[in-house]
Amino acid sequence: MPEKVRIVPEKAERKALAMGLQALNENMITLADLSELAIRKAVDGLARLDPSVADEVFLLDGEIYALQIEIEKNCIDLIALHAPVARDLRTITTSLKITTDFDRIGRYAKDISEITLKFRGKEPNHLRNLGSIPEMTELAIRLVDKAIRAFVARDAESVRHIQEDDDAVDLLEDRAFQELVDKMKAGTLDVEIGARYILVTRYLERIADHAVNIGQRVVYMVTGERMPRVRAAQRANDPHA
Amino acid sequence: MIGAKMRTERLSAWYGTKAAIKEISINFEEHMVTSIIGPSGCGKSTLIRCMNRLHEVVPKARAEGKVLLDGEDVYELDAVSVRRRVGMVFQKANPFPTMSVYDNVAAGLRLNGMRDRKKLDEAVYRSLKQAALWDEVKDSLDAPGVSLSGGQQQRLCIARALAVQPEVLLMDEPCSALDPIATAKIEDLVFDLKKEYTVVIVTHNMQQAARVADYTAFLYLGKLIEYNVTRELFERPAEELTEKYITGRFG
Repeated sequence: MPEKVRIVPEKAERKALAMGLQALNENMITLADLSELAIRKAVDGLARLDPSVADEVFLLDGEIYALQIEIEKNCIDLIALHAPVARDLRTITTSLKITTDFDRIGRYAKDISEITLKFRGKEPNHLRNLGSIPEMTELAIRLVDKAIRAFVARDAESVRHIQEDDDAVDLLEDRAFQELVDKMKAGTLDVEIGARYILVTRYLERIADHAVNIGQRVVYMVTGERMPRVRAAQRANDPHA
Repeated sequence: MIGAKMRTERLSAWYGTKAAIKEISINFEEHMVTSIIGPSGCGKSTLIRCMNRLHEVVPKARAEGKVLLDGEDVYELDAVSVRRRVGMVFQKANPFPTMSVYDNVAAGLRLNGMRDRKKLDEAVYRSLKQAALWDEVKDSLDAPGVSLSGGQQQRLCIARALAVQPEVLLMDEPCSALDPIATAKIEDLVFDLKKEYTVVIVTHNMQQAARVADYTAFLYLGKLIEYNVTRELFERPAEELTEKYITGRFG
């Protein structure tokens, strides 16, 4: 993790607000760390078909949810008591928005762990059937990590083009989907199992989407600039879009 | 945006040799509220006092640059007529101490030569209504103006300023001595007044600027640092100085 940003201004005339922002930032960093840990554990559990990891992920998901609620309360208090403006306001509203993204990432980690439990004893060809999923997993986690680092370091530039990184995840999802469908058509993969793999790819793709949301919100938080949502096809036609 | 009702062009003002504002150029849009914020001594009051030529009444005070009202330089017009067209409400409510509520509102009109009682009655009614004070004083128009509460006295002063039907209303920290309820009434009033007038309000209360103003100008050490749509200025100020001031990080 990069060095944490110090929020308290050197000559704080509004110390209570500054301290509240510092506490909020610390909670946000914990939330981000927990979400990333949940997804790392979930995919590790899936790769090794290790059911013991699932309990840890379920626990993390519960903690992420509780922390999300606490952060929401932090933000509402700060708005109600201090009427924040400018960067302070953007930090608080961004935190409010991206806690939902972190919560969703935690929830998908839990969903992946549930699938891991369902595979137990029913999927003898796991490693072979994973196909493009490990590569997709790596990219999705890298995206989450990138978004979190940008948030922690208040670095808008590193995530300004995060949407483009997500294109690779989308392509891999398409590829994994095709691989799985081909195997099911050929009768080498049980349809119920295959459908669950497809769900995994969908969860990973959604995790990457939430990382994009976080990255784009970080750009707004730091610069005040709202990033447009541009579809991949449109970006391919106009690289400057 | 309808267009600028008033405009300052490279306006500078001095008290003796001390510069209070330096080359300030701002457009004040018609039927809009513009707030002027900034720390004490940054030149907020001087700026609006130049706009209705009150600055020059201070000994050794002078101004350079232009103040345009509907495109005409107010420094080339008669000062009294400028002050009739550009009214001012001050920080501390200052009703004429010996006059009744009615006479306070009618004072400006009488000075302008209006004697017709019926017309005066109409103007007093209209002004008190516009200042959201009529319902509270309609049965005590003969009571001394100073017998009203602080918030009512401030609205009485607003009614007095409105009686001569100005085009622009300048307000110099009009709520700084008022409680939150009286402040809310003045803020509601400002919201209504912009339908008929162009309003410029100097305030130390940034939340007040955020609540009432369409545009906000931030002054620091006599200079205009930033001028923008209020929402933009408070959500994403362009200048670091503005950011520091509005977030309370001014050292």
